[in-house]
Amino acid sequence: MPDGSSPRTDIALAVLLIVVCGVVLFETRDIPPGTFEPLGSAPIPQATAGLIILCALVVMGRAVLTTMRGQVTVAPVELELRPRDALVVFVLTMAYVLALQLRLLDFAPLTIAYLLLAIGFVVRFQTRLLPWIALVAVITGYGCQYVFTRVFVVDLPGL
Amino acid sequence: MGGDFLGALGTIFTPLPFLFTLIGTSLGIVVGAIPGLTGAMLIALTLPLTFYMAPTNAVILLVSMYVGAISGGLITATLLRMPGTPASVMTTFDGYPMAQSGRPGRALGLGITASFVGGLISWVFLFFLSKPLSIIATRFGPFEYFTLILMAMVLIASVSQGSLIKGLISGLLGMLVSMPGVDPSTGQPRLTFDWYMLNSGLKLLPVLIGVFAVSQIIADIVEINRKVERVEMSNKGLLMSLRDWKDQAVNLVRSSLIGTWVGILPGVGASIGSVMAYTAAKNMSRTPERFGKGSEEGIVASEAANNATVGGALIPLIAMGIPGSVIDAILIGALMIHSIQPGPTLFLSNADIVWAMIAACLVANVLMFVIMTGAVGFVSRLMYVPRTFILPVIMVFCVIGAYALDNTMFDVWVMLIFGVVGYLLERAKVPLGPFVIGFVLAPLAEEKLRSGLMMTAGSIEPMFTRPLPLIFLLVSIVLLVWPLWGEWRMRRGERSREVDVTIE
Repeated sequence: MPDGSSPRTDIALAVLLIVVCGVVLFETRDIPPGTFEPLGSAPIPQATAGLIILCALVVMGRAVLTTMRGQVTVAPVELELRPRDALVVFVLTMAYVLALQLRLLDFAPLTIAYLLLAIGFVVRFQTRLLPWIALVAVITGYGCQYVFTRVFVVDLPGL
Repeated sequence: MGGDFLGALGTIFTPLPFLFTLIGTSLGIVVGAIPGLTGAMLIALTLPLTFYMAPTNAVILLVSMYVGAISGGLITATLLRMPGTPASVMTTFDGYPMAQSGRPGRALGLGITASFVGGLISWVFLFFLSKPLSIIATRFGPFEYFTLILMAMVLIASVSQGSLIKGLISGLLGMLVSMPGVDPSTGQPRLTFDWYMLNSGLKLLPVLIGVFAVSQIIADIVEINRKVERVEMSNKGLLMSLRDWKDQAVNLVRSSLIGTWVGILPGVGASIGSVMAYTAAKNMSRTPERFGKGSEEGIVASEAANNATVGGALIPLIAMGIPGSVIDAILIGALMIHSIQPGPTLFLSNADIVWAMIAACLVANVLMFVIMTGAVGFVSRLMYVPRTFILPVIMVFCVIGAYALDNTMFDVWVMLIFGVVGYLLERAKVPLGPFVIGFVLAPLAEEKLRSGLMMTAGSIEPMFTRPLPLIFLLVSIVLLVWPLWGEWRMRRGERSREVDVTIE
């Protein structure tokens, strides 16, 4: 595609947008019209969703045409990407947030555990880096707890 | 006007505000210089820390960060060919080749001085234009406002990187995301899916942190293998000579004016400003062939323009409450968090805040010049801080930032969801700028449209009969049609060339 995206990604994006906007249109169908003002609450979200669907159809149409014409060019990959690492760190973050919400531990120990795991995973738990990771984790965990609760007087999750 | 400004300047030079200006500018430079970290990310993450500050100190800190972050990107662009901020992309074309040829100090010196001059020139416009424009804007009716916002939305979609359609999708999606919650006009819940947590809608800060910080962290971890090559840094040639000033004077002024103008246009940020100034400098240069190979004019044009957009972009924010760039959209959020309503009456209701912003922009520019000139060697070493350590720590700050807004974990989940949304949109080459601006402007646009319709009993006729709404509408249509027309002509040209080749 001219903007550098792949037709498959564009089609997936368009389908996702159409589904989301379909949900919006369905959800706003029963909102009553305005009584003391002409527009009411529904038309603007409906119009916005309609316009997004229209744009998504254009994106999908272009992607399909590009695929049919065989104009798909695969950009050369210059470096080894690590999407799995990003996924694992994201899942760890969700677990961290959930643990904070359930107050399984205080903020500082949970943060230390999260950072040990997240940084450790990204650097493949290299033994020579572990002391540094532990240092960063402890400073961040207890440092944040002290600075945010004592200096900025902000409540922290999990406390 | 002068008295108010001098008062604000005096405030900035008292110990605490000055400390905030210094911290803000320095942090901005450091974050701008670290690849993968952006000014928008820094400001979104700093917002929760400003909750308990005096509003004046908060805006001083945030504006200083804005100035610093735009400038810091120059260092990585020059030494690593990796723009620290998107605004420095054009600087990589000439800054890096010059650094590679053994003149990194010269390249950085030109960039720093150009940034400083660009910032000062745009500040002059900020100082003299904001108040008169805000007075004009107080005469705007709801239809004027609605069509102005419409024009801003179309403008940012049409000039944002990538395709126009994807820019529009991004803006519209941002608008849609701002709509869940109880409708303030009718009291009717909409798009809440009968879930009470959505009654108050999605708040700006978690969405911002998600879209700009979490998505960036995900993207950075995916590309964690990107190697940073070390470049020897020397301070030689860091200060411009009198002859340099003479040679670059026209280029400096022209690029700064372009940057300021682009900044004033609602929704258009520093990246576009630097591209336009760079192109203009190349077209008017006596040595256009040197552009892309270490041209001094190229560096000066790009850096003067991207810093000039800061002052320019603050003008519509202060005068009309319309963000001139993505960071300005975040600043609008900051003002609202501090119960300050952005808009044309800002000069009347919170003059001290406005003048503090204007004064902070000036002082931060001067500090940026001093810090960058004095400590560029030290800052350039920070580029090599391992990102594997930084990114998860920033994620912790994101969690704290989203939680601190209302002490609710719901906001943290919203942030995480929008982190994924932002990452997926970026992967599909959908620009994120229009999304945030759509999110910020949609409630205002809806409010103005609905109050306008109430005044006219449902008629939209004033949009076509009043001069300003009509002009804004026509400009929107031109902005929408122009890129499509250009694309159609380009394709037609390509096809006719293909036919010619076949015939031959």
